[in-house]
Amino acid sequence: MKTPPFLLLAVLVFWGWQSDLLILGALMGVALESSRFIKTRWDLSTDDFRRLWNFCVLLAGALALYVFSTNEGGGGFGTLVHGSAAGRTATLSGLHTASTLARWMPMMFFLFIAAQNFSERETIPLSAISLIFRRRQQNAVGIKPEWYVNIAYPYFIVCLFSASIHANEGAHTFFGGEGVLLAWALWPLRARRFNFAIWISTFLLALALAYAGSRGIGQLAQLAQNYNAQWMTRWLSSRPDPTQAMTAIGQIGELQMSSAIVIRMETKNGAPPPSYLREASYHSYRSQTWFAGGSHNEFLDIPAAANSGGTAYDLVPGKTNTADVSIACYINGWSSELSVPESLLPLPSGSGRLENIPSSVVAVKQNLTGGVLAAGPGFLIFDARYGAGATLDSPPNTNWDLTVPTNEIPALEQIVAELKISSTNPAQVELAVAQFFANKFTYSTWQRPDKTPHPNETPLARFLLRTRSGHCEYFATATVLLLRELGIRTRYAVGYYAHEADGENQYVVRGRDAHAWCLVWNDTTKAWEDFDTTPGSWVATESQRAHAWQSIKDFFSWLHFQFSKFRWGQSHLRRYILWAVIPMMGFLLYQIVFRRGRKRQAQKSNNKNSGAIPWPGLDSEFYQLETKIAARGLPRQSGEALSDWLARALAENTLADLRAPLAELLRLHYRHRFDPNGLNAEERKSLAQKVNTVLKTLAEK
Amino acid sequence: MKPIYRLFYLSYRVIGGAWYWARRRFTTAGLFVAGGIIVTGATGVDIENTMTYQAFTLLFAFLIFGFVSSFFFRAKFSATRFLPRVGTAGQPLPYRVEIKNLTAKPQTGLTLLENLTDPRPTFAEWLAFQMAESKRVRPFHVAQRRRRNPFRLATLKPAEIPPLAAYGEAEATTEILPLRRGILRLTGITVARPDPLGLFHSFVKISAAQTVLILPKRYPLPPIALPGAVRYQEGGVALAANVGRSEEFVALRDYRHGDPLRHIHWRSWARIGKPIVKEFEDEFFVRHALVLDTFDTEPNSEILEEAISIGASFACTILTQESLLDLLFVGHQSYCFTAGRGLAHADQILEILASVKNCADKKFATLEQLVLNHVSIVSGCICIFQKWDAARRIFIEKLKALNVPLLVLIIVPPGGGISNAGESAVETDGSLHVLEIGKIEETLAKLK
Repeated sequence: MKTPPFLLLAVLVFWGWQSDLLILGALMGVALESSRFIKTRWDLSTDDFRRLWNFCVLLAGALALYVFSTNEGGGGFGTLVHGSAAGRTATLSGLHTASTLARWMPMMFFLFIAAQNFSERETIPLSAISLIFRRRQQNAVGIKPEWYVNIAYPYFIVCLFSASIHANEGAHTFFGGEGVLLAWALWPLRARRFNFAIWISTFLLALALAYAGSRGIGQLAQLAQNYNAQWMTRWLSSRPDPTQAMTAIGQIGELQMSSAIVIRMETKNGAPPPSYLREASYHSYRSQTWFAGGSHNEFLDIPAAANSGGTAYDLVPGKTNTADVSIACYINGWSSELSVPESLLPLPSGSGRLENIPSSVVAVKQNLTGGVLAAGPGFLIFDARYGAGATLDSPPNTNWDLTVPTNEIPALEQIVAELKISSTNPAQVELAVAQFFANKFTYSTWQRPDKTPHPNETPLARFLLRTRSGHCEYFATATVLLLRELGIRTRYAVGYYAHEADGENQYVVRGRDAHAWCLVWNDTTKAWEDFDTTPGSWVATESQRAHAWQSIKDFFSWLHFQFSKFRWGQSHLRRYILWAVIPMMGFLLYQIVFRRGRKRQAQKSNNKNSGAIPWPGLDSEFYQLETKIAARGLPRQSGEALSDWLARALAENTLADLRAPLAELLRLHYRHRFDPNGLNAEERKSLAQKVNTVLKTLAEK
Repeated sequence: MKPIYRLFYLSYRVIGGAWYWARRRFTTAGLFVAGGIIVTGATGVDIENTMTYQAFTLLFAFLIFGFVSSFFFRAKFSATRFLPRVGTAGQPLPYRVEIKNLTAKPQTGLTLLENLTDPRPTFAEWLAFQMAESKRVRPFHVAQRRRRNPFRLATLKPAEIPPLAAYGEAEATTEILPLRRGILRLTGITVARPDPLGLFHSFVKISAAQTVLILPKRYPLPPIALPGAVRYQEGGVALAANVGRSEEFVALRDYRHGDPLRHIHWRSWARIGKPIVKEFEDEFFVRHALVLDTFDTEPNSEILEEAISIGASFACTILTQESLLDLLFVGHQSYCFTAGRGLAHADQILEILASVKNCADKKFATLEQLVLNHVSIVSGCICIFQKWDAARRIFIEKLKALNVPLLVLIIVPPGGGISNAGESAVETDGSLHVLEIGKIEETLAKLK
């Protein structure tokens, strides 16, 4: 069905406007609509349409390749074949490729729609578009009539869809534009039994409903984001924000923790695993939230270690690392700057060097509080070398690392008084604090509602003075602030506590192993050291939360792990698949060739059979005479009977003596050619001989 | 494997049902809108990077209004179909439908839709077809000719209903394209009204059950000189047909031992005092047997359909005013129908052929027995076989030995042939013809 006048122009202008290709869109629209005024038409066959379609598809493929390559989209061909060597900066950006292609679709298929509009039939044969349809048409029993379709409306839909592929900037231009265009498109298709007033009021009501709906969707998404930001990001999404850590301090009820495996570790040579895997540390505490006092911009690129081929990074240059652990973790965050997954790496305390970083990692960065950010694949396996001594954290800063929020000071002073610490030796102070928490506090993930409200009491004060029961965030926060109150520089660290073995030298870390603890500055060694006051019973308490079907969940977790390895190119499976695919493709190719070969053979033998029955008379020697006489400047016209031509050719006086023998020969030739009984052997021989004689005579003349 | 096939069957039923519903409920524009909802719904999830969700809401709102408006169509109609008694598979069947508006509100812009019985097969039928297809179709060969869904009964064309005045009548012309032979059951008529935007239909259903017999497809046949000569038919046409009996006799004669009692002329016996019998005029005419092979394990065999079509073509073409045609085949039992010379018309043979099914529980020997019992009275045999194997070859050799003139037609799948051709004399004497599906018409046209 044809579109109403100028609808294609309008939609292409709209697409151009929305995609910042206004002039191009307008030109394309004018070109298409000009077919209403220009009456010249091309006689395009099904084959022509097929070639045009193939061209458009190839163009789409080439554009996809172009967009893919300009994205530096890796994880694809290069890394598939060459492994780690090729794709240093490569990371899959398929989403970007797909959206760019979707936006360019009107351009890709413009030639095809233009061919339709300027063709005589003004429709497209279906077999030009679909290979399967074409084959079936060819193989169909009997003659199958060709189906023709007008693709103007589908093209309109494609343009409208492409126009919608751009960032949501809050403007209503798209909604208004699509409303007008859809009204324009639907008007000719309306039900004729209703008058204009009913139609337009229905349309406007639908428009209003849709507007409310789209606003509602926007608000719903916003709500979901906020909801997520409040607590889901902290406890369900396993990666913390490097700039701040919102704690669950003060929340009432049961703390929900996931038992999904989030990290897998493998130690070398039977060495024990690192107990703490730190992701980030923070130094300022305000309103139940810890801050690192900066932003993403404070992350600085870590250059790849020399002579490592870009696979190793020195976090603490010159450090002697004594232990080595292989860590596999998911990269769950997203870098809006690089448009790739990005998150903090869980690293053992005292990590000095990262090795075997895959080539798909685009950037490795660190901030001042010891967070290491990796961007690139959604899953990462690497080796961390670590040891006691220097860490990559910045040295203590008096402004941050001794600061206690004023609203927490009264409670802390009460505790300091209760501790009755006389020594100023940090080690003794730490010991006293550790004993204080171990003896007087219990671990609990449950916070009961406060029956006697204390309006000015902070949740931490409540924990320290009254409930004395809480989860690791309470202990870590309280310890950090208490030690600061006692003059020791501390920071708040978050990460995981690794304790669960899973086979020889292998360990798993679950979501519920997420932990918070304290970092204490050791003036003697000039290094930050882990200091954990959470009662040791917390591991057992958390483990009790394991479900009966834990092993089934672990199996799926393992499947997810294996799939992630494959998905993000961290296994050799991709290459195995490539090698598995090659024989499969070979087999398919063999099938195709085999079938084709048979078909060709069959066709050949058919041709042979049809050639075995030659048209009678085609071997007549008379044709030699015809060629010879024509060479004398008297060619036979197309459609001219031989006898007429001969009469014309022999009008020349020099050939007068040939008239009689040629007339006789023509008669014989005609008989040889058309007489159902043909010539007998003698006559056939006579024809050949007589032609030869005349040829000789002609040669002499 | 069976649970997987169950799952496939379930999805076939659900998808088939949903598609049928969508095709009737949505107009073409509505189908585009519904497709658009699916695409924009999938891509519009990311509301930050695309505006597709706005298109989704708009298209969705259109359909909501269409759906809601479908509840406000409160018309009443009655309808009468003027349907022919028979149709032919593959041939459009146009007919008229008279629609009467039973309310005081005039109606315009309505569409008439026919309702058929649910053509979806049972699991057993569906599985049998899939198994047969999996044997036939080569894996990975996507372009290989696949069989049209054999369960599809007909394609229906929606018809526009002319404007109906209050309590007025109008006549719509619609068309069915039957795809299968057999009885086509129409369960009712649906009157559809589009919503103001022209996307979604609301329905008023009218109960109007009716059936039409769909005859097999036929091929044009050239004038074929069928094998065989005229044969004496004892007892004349009437007796030959086993129906009634003719009182037309030429003479009376004395009873001879062995004369049937029914031929005794009682009045003459009473008058003369000795048994006298009637002597009938000898009937000599051509009588052909059309032998249809119904032995194949596949219930929806394409070959059987072609065999029936060829049988129907012969039944229509042979001049039955001058000759008799016996249709011999085996179904639930052995059947022999005779048509011609006023006994029955070719149409009746076609009606029988419209209902023939493959016989899975009997052996080819049943047909062989039926034909051999019958062969003494026929001038010649036209045998239509679904395959060529030892049993059929032996059968043909037996007929040859009885000097029965033969025309043997073997149907083979596209690109197929008969194995071990030329081993038997029957394969080389020119009476045997191989008909490849897809080239049957041209091969039949070459028959002499």
